[in-house]
Amino acid sequence: MGLVFLKRLKGLVLPLVLLMVWEIASRQGRAYALTFIPIEKIGRSLIETILSGELLTNLLASLGTASTGLLIGGTVGLGLGSLMGLYPRVDKIIGPVFHSFRQVPLLGWIPLIGLWFGNGCLAKTLVVCLASFYPMVLNSYAGIRNVENNHLEVGRVLGASRWQTYRYILIPGALPFIFIGIYHALAFSWISTVGSELLFTAGPGLGGMMQTAQMAAKMDIVIICVASIGITGLLMNVSLAKLSSHLLRWRATR
Amino acid sequence: MNAISTAKKLPIPADALGLLAVPLAMLALWVLVTRAQWVPEQLLVSPTKVIEAVGELWEAGELQGHLQNSLRRLFLGFFSGAIFGLIFGVLMGLSKSMEDYCAPLFNAFRQIPSIAFIPMLILIFGIDETFKIIIVAKAAFFPVALGGYDSVRGIPKNYFEVAKVYQCPLWPLIKQVVIPATVPQILTGLRLSLSRSWMVLVAAELMAADSGIGQMMEWGRQMFRMDIVVVGVFITGLIGFALDYGFKWLESRMARWKMG
Repeated sequence: MGLVFLKRLKGLVLPLVLLMVWEIASRQGRAYALTFIPIEKIGRSLIETILSGELLTNLLASLGTASTGLLIGGTVGLGLGSLMGLYPRVDKIIGPVFHSFRQVPLLGWIPLIGLWFGNGCLAKTLVVCLASFYPMVLNSYAGIRNVENNHLEVGRVLGASRWQTYRYILIPGALPFIFIGIYHALAFSWISTVGSELLFTAGPGLGGMMQTAQMAAKMDIVIICVASIGITGLLMNVSLAKLSSHLLRWRATR
Repeated sequence: MNAISTAKKLPIPADALGLLAVPLAMLALWVLVTRAQWVPEQLLVSPTKVIEAVGELWEAGELQGHLQNSLRRLFLGFFSGAIFGLIFGVLMGLSKSMEDYCAPLFNAFRQIPSIAFIPMLILIFGIDETFKIIIVAKAAFFPVALGGYDSVRGIPKNYFEVAKVYQCPLWPLIKQVVIPATVPQILTGLRLSLSRSWMVLVAAELMAADSGIGQMMEWGRQMFRMDIVVVGVFITGLIGFALDYGFKWLESRMARWKMG
């Protein structure tokens, strides 16, 4: 008990030192006070943005974009990846195109998407769709390809129908990989939501809120946004990890 | 072992023609659609226009300038971030007290996407080179640090016990035990870092820059010059591919070196 407590205490040292340096820097005159906002002021702005509902509205807007994109991009990706895994011909036709498109960094598409679809909600959602599409294709493909051949043979010997093969062999076999895909897709969808909101500033969202605050040189709001983005991302990861370990509990753990 | 076999297989696959068929068909469709003007030119620029834009940008020396600036930022940021990340990760893996002090803060910062730091860094450092190099370094730091930390922690405890029994000093311990055991995972971390750095750099240049591939695309978007935007998308893709492929090649070489 004591040891764990001591370990926790040690972990707190560095953040506290950083906070102290920050606070001292904020008292070094006006020039510094603009960038190193006093901690007390950050706290006050935090309460203000929570009470006025500004933080919540923008957070919900971002979550909306992220989940819409994740749902659409993830589903399409799951479909395409499974098709590519099941049918070598599809893989041969679509694979090279898919892999060459994948080389462009995600946010590199933004100017082109901006030209085609403007800079509103549609463009943002499209970027997020793309972000969750790639990992889902890759992982569902790998999942199907990694289903053990013996299992498929047993199915064939026992005369499993096509549907039974999917339901009892392919889907359960691919599920662990698919979860890795969802895990990556979730992370990428959150990152790309923030990125697309920063680059397409129109409309609500944490990225837009942060961008507006940066233009107005409001460091306190920027810091609050950065922290909310980090915490939301962490919560998403933790809850998905819990969910996947619950759903995959049938799997023999090493 | 695996790396060696892939290293030999890397050159052009046997059925390259089959692989090229679909991209070529897509290119033909692109030419056809723009030639027949089924789609207005503002929406889909023709391939010839894109090639012309490349020539135009190249002759004006703009393309080389943007490329040079982007790559300089990428390598300055990547190397500084990766070196610090490697040192930090390995130390955190080696020393228990370093881990106790630093891991919580490290893990907290790791949760925040690099892109989210851009506005904050702009406020602190302005929109000059410093901010771009720091954001690239930040993006490179975390995957390498994590790779170093995980791989050092993955070294069997007995190795260290043997080293302790023989009273092996720190430097030979690092050189003869730590480095050989950790190189593969660290290389993977470095590759991940490099592609993330590239993406973050393009995003940073899109947001605030006076030069660079990202800025070129952003300018193209504002001027409705779709040809220039498409050139930019191609080049970012090409560079991303070259970096990844080059690093995989390096990894296979290193694996071979390790076997020898």
